[in-house]
Amino acid sequence: MAKMKALILLVLSFAACALAQSESGEIVAADSVAFSKFYVSIEGGEKYPFGDLVDAVDNTLYVGIGARYAYWEDFDGIILFQYSYFEPHDKIPHVYGVHEASGKLGLDYRWRLISPIALGAGFICNWTRADFNDDGRPEFDTRGGTLTDNETEFGWFARLNLPIFTMDNYRAGLNVLWEQLWTLPERSNMLSVGLYIERRLW
Amino acid sequence: MRSFLNRFFCSFGVPGLLLASVVSHAAVDAEMDGMEVDSRDDGTFLVGGPTFYYDRILGAGGLHSESEMWSPEKLRQRLLFNRMSPLPSWNPLPPSVWVKTGNELGDLIYNDFITPEDRPSNRTPILEGGFRSPGFKGFWVTGRAFQDDHFSTATMVARKKMVDDEFALFGENYPLFSTMYAGFGYSAGTINASVLAGEEYVWIFSESSRWLPVHYRPRVETRIDVWNLETTVAYENADYQNHERKESGERREWSGSLRYRCGDACRRGMLQLSAGLAFRKVDDDGIVYTRLEGDRVILPFMELKFEPAKAFAARAMLAINDRDWLVQDSVEFRPAAPAKSGITLGVKNISGTRLNPLADTEEFFDGDTISLTADGQMNLVQGYASFTDTLGNLELGGRGSFWAEHGAETFDVDEYVVDEDLVYRHGDVDRINDWIKGVTGELWMSVWYQEMFAFKALGGFERIDGEEKRFEVTPAEFFASFTADWLLRKSFRISHSLRYRSDAKWNLRSRDPLTVKGDWFWDATFEQQFPLYGLYLTGTLLHVLGDEVIETPNGAHNRLRFVCTVRKTF
Repeated sequence: MAKMKALILLVLSFAACALAQSESGEIVAADSVAFSKFYVSIEGGEKYPFGDLVDAVDNTLYVGIGARYAYWEDFDGIILFQYSYFEPHDKIPHVYGVHEASGKLGLDYRWRLISPIALGAGFICNWTRADFNDDGRPEFDTRGGTLTDNETEFGWFARLNLPIFTMDNYRAGLNVLWEQLWTLPERSNMLSVGLYIERRLW
Repeated sequence: MRSFLNRFFCSFGVPGLLLASVVSHAAVDAEMDGMEVDSRDDGTFLVGGPTFYYDRILGAGGLHSESEMWSPEKLRQRLLFNRMSPLPSWNPLPPSVWVKTGNELGDLIYNDFITPEDRPSNRTPILEGGFRSPGFKGFWVTGRAFQDDHFSTATMVARKKMVDDEFALFGENYPLFSTMYAGFGYSAGTINASVLAGEEYVWIFSESSRWLPVHYRPRVETRIDVWNLETTVAYENADYQNHERKESGERREWSGSLRYRCGDACRRGMLQLSAGLAFRKVDDDGIVYTRLEGDRVILPFMELKFEPAKAFAARAMLAINDRDWLVQDSVEFRPAAPAKSGITLGVKNISGTRLNPLADTEEFFDGDTISLTADGQMNLVQGYASFTDTLGNLELGGRGSFWAEHGAETFDVDEYVVDEDLVYRHGDVDRINDWIKGVTGELWMSVWYQEMFAFKALGGFERIDGEEKRFEVTPAEFFASFTADWLLRKSFRISHSLRYRSDAKWNLRSRDPLTVKGDWFWDATFEQQFPLYGLYLTGTLLHVLGDEVIETPNGAHNRLRFVCTVRKTF
């Protein structure tokens, strides 16, 4: 049954592709617009684990840098790099916390109906490594053990880019981002909310 | 359409001509060059890892997998035991710089803190980085480091005991191959030459079902193509070991080929002729677990195509030496048909004493000598008919065939040996000296719209009649696949493939046959393209929907994976 649902979702998602294309088929192709505008940003905020993950790690702060570039007339490419340090929700012997570096690559859609808000989505690659006491390093098959080595996992994200004010080449706004990592035994969901300041380079 | 092309090329040994218009698809990106079989949708493709898989196109005829069969088209592929493998590929890539990474999905990450029991096994990554410079007065340099850690976990414990270090250039996942090379070349006009040198770790799967660790240090490969003449020479200093048994050996091997290809003028003629030879020379010292009779093999070959009229073509490939011979030939007739449609009637034949006359002749396993050759010969005959018809943006096609094979290569098992999770076998390569017969049918439909969209539905069945318990693999009886390629606004590519394969079965690699259950699979590639800048950002999901099962004996789980690539072309 789960597979049938997935199949139906697949069919619907690709039907949506067709609709998206037919609605905007006249829009100028990428190469005449791509990289015609380029923005860099700094960002900071808080990340909130969701679901079972609230029992694994606590909320934490994050900082990051980003780039946004024109891709199509109504789509921007986005690249984000963020760092955060998570502390375990319960005490894990010899593990103080986890460093996380997150890279995100995707697209923002500037839908005219909700302008200037943009809707974005893309893929994530997260690298993690525990901050631990080497003298009491947990075994690989005990809690915290896998994180004492480099661990990488992929996932996807969706975001709302909410500009608050724009002035000349600067913009400040709110970034509300939902991310899901394809982990086991359950997927890992988190919400992050952060403020950004963006500068247009060209 | 690509799978249809592949089927033609592979089935005839020499490239066949397609009847109808070809809708060019991009396809789902392979996780690494040479792993395209993992997303193939037109037959039985069972993947145990990047260095061992069973790949048989439905309708190919016979029971062998495509990689078991030598042909001149594979002269620059790697010989891994008795299989020709496109991977690890030493083909210099086009001028560009690229980085690739990925992972089998399903690590714990933060779930680690809340999962004290029933923890999933570790997932492993894929890594690649490389460059090839633009030409400067025709000269260029290149370098590439790549390894595929996927498919490594299930057999890691057993393999780890056989080697005295991590057996990889990076990390501790004991990947089935790990390669690094660098070199330079010259490309101008009709000259294309390169010299590459590097180091490589490869786990080779043998007839006894063992994984053999081979460390090439160094491996050097030279290619010189001038006009229609192609030359390849490779030198390998290969270290073999079984650390647990305190065994070690060394093989110094020279191998290569010389090939004259029919050129442009030749291809316009009625009679087209190509010829060449392939060779190997080995010098073994210590225990290397295999032997090549006489320590050398030279295999001259010739390819012919006779096309007196557009409606008729006969093709033949003959390879022969003092020990073996192999013939592949076909006769094709294309009667007159209405515009935008075509009919092909053909007969093909494959005969030979050995599927791969270049491969080693003996394997040594636990005091036993496994003969990798069998007396006699195999004969495969196949008759086929195909049609295509095009109506605007719709193409319909079908193909049916009947085949019969006598003397198919198999393995005569004397004894199985169970070693923890792995099963090995004693015995010899043998033949099924009886007729095996098969009937196949395929139908397909393609729809496309300009460059933006192409869709293909393809389905096939095959009924095989023979002594199944002696088949190395009983291929799948049915498949269905649906592939679609989108190029949105000429710069965002989505390629995906949804397919079903019915049960397949390994009969001879364990006491109880291993049935690989039929399943649905979905793969997808998403790519931001910036053609003006030569920049491509690609993400690929592989093996979605399908259960994560082991598809080959002593292989590893075929897991859900994600691979991303950044490439900048020059």
